[in-house]
Amino acid sequence: MSQRDEPAGSIYDLGYRRYDGPRLGRRHAMLSLYLFSLRGAFGLGRRTSSKIIPIAIAIIAATPAVIQLGVGAIVSSEHLHVIRPENYFNFIQIAVALFCAAVAPEVMGRDQRTRTLPLYFSRALLRSDYVLGKLAALWTALLFLTFVPQALLFLGNGMASSNSTGYWRDNWMDFPRIVASGALVAALFASLSLLVAAQTARRAYATVSVIALFVISSVISEVISGTAGGVWGQAAVLLTPFEVVRATILWVFQSNAESGSALAQADLPGYVFFAMLCAATAIAAWLVVRRYERIAV
Amino acid sequence: MNRAIVELTARQLLGQRRSLLLVVFALIPVGIALLYRFEGQQPNHVQWTANVLGARLIVGTLLPIAAVIFGTAALGSEFEDGTAVYLLSKPLSRSRVVLSKLLVAWLATGALVLASVLVAGAIAIRDIPDQGVLLGFAVAVAAGSLAYCSVFVLLSILTSRALITGLIYVFIWEGLMTALFSGTKVLSIRQYTIGVAKWLTTTSERTFAARLDGPEALALMVVMSILATWLAVRALARWEIGESG
Repeated sequence: MSQRDEPAGSIYDLGYRRYDGPRLGRRHAMLSLYLFSLRGAFGLGRRTSSKIIPIAIAIIAATPAVIQLGVGAIVSSEHLHVIRPENYFNFIQIAVALFCAAVAPEVMGRDQRTRTLPLYFSRALLRSDYVLGKLAALWTALLFLTFVPQALLFLGNGMASSNSTGYWRDNWMDFPRIVASGALVAALFASLSLLVAAQTARRAYATVSVIALFVISSVISEVISGTAGGVWGQAAVLLTPFEVVRATILWVFQSNAESGSALAQADLPGYVFFAMLCAATAIAAWLVVRRYERIAV
Repeated sequence: MNRAIVELTARQLLGQRRSLLLVVFALIPVGIALLYRFEGQQPNHVQWTANVLGARLIVGTLLPIAAVIFGTAALGSEFEDGTAVYLLSKPLSRSRVVLSKLLVAWLATGALVLASVLVAGAIAIRDIPDQGVLLGFAVAVAAGSLAYCSVFVLLSILTSRALITGLIYVFIWEGLMTALFSGTKVLSIRQYTIGVAKWLTTTSERTFAARLDGPEALALMVVMSILATWLAVRALARWEIGESG
């Protein structure tokens, strides 16, 4: 380093310099990848047409909360609970699935399509870091759908009520539950849709495969639980992410499924769904890491 | 028809990884039928076989997905790989190219779905008289495959994004819109197929209902297939070599 101003060769000296600035390292690389992917998930820093779909879907997911707050502001009734926090997911499940289908191929396959993957992998970033950064980005993006509207709803309900501190004192336990359920829902949907999206570099195939995963798993689960009794019929609700997520939310809120629903018929203890959610998230994440460890760039 | 094209397309279609996935997918109804046979709770086997196994699982999911994959790949993969130029510069009329491709897509889809419906249906229905449900669905599925494939072959000529367009048609239009607005039934191949299946059975309306009447469904299906095939021939006949990659 000390000789950086001296010429390195006498004849063919082209004036190349060594880089001796700060090396930010692996952690910084991961953080940058995470932030860049998160911005990309909503199309920030990209052209307008790639902003429309993710932002429109996020707005749709916030609409039930906005309507509830609007109604609450006008009617101003203490006991007006159009949407219980544990039921919020039922209103936005299609929006969450569509968001995954639209955004997961952007987050995951884009570097393969633009052939920038070798550039990432020749840096301090490990391959598993790359996948974890992408997963974290999609997870955070999904929190804008599964957590933020409900948090706003919680705060807004309190402010609209005539006795705000009283409202928050009575319902403060809801807040950690909203955080936990939103984080769990986002984790399952993020890892499942990235697992599917990682299988192909082409965006159209990835989008459709994510939708197909959600549709086909729901149909199969619904058919089996409507068909078979006993253990098989009970276990069938574990086959679709929607029912697993719904049941886990109910478990987090210590609430019961609506009678007559598939979940009420299955009548499984809540921790089974929680365990299923955690296992599915972990296995899907591991499979994505494994795929990227082996992918040829 | 042209034998060389038929054989070539059959090799192209069956050699893909996607086709293997489809075979696995076709086994799912069989698995569910086995589950129904040993663990099932519905007393009315004919009703279950017609509504759940036939209309919902096979006509509702397996048939359109198999058709969209085979139908758009039969001719579409030639455009994608850039081999369409060699095919179309041969001294063959374009209509024969389209018809050969359509035939293979239809046979592949039909064989897969037919095998699934017959095996799964036979398992589910047991030894009781089936009131024509198996025959009805077998014929309807064979006819429905042709209608779906002709539409998807047409799509693969018109757009380079035929697969996604086809899946949007299947999931959004047939899956979602038809559930919300019953008027869209006249533009849904799924409803034609169910209508034809119902027509061939002797089941009562309570056991198995279809939205379209049998003759109406069959007529719409024939019109749709012929129209789509004719448009496909026309579109390919006007396709100029060098127009796109």
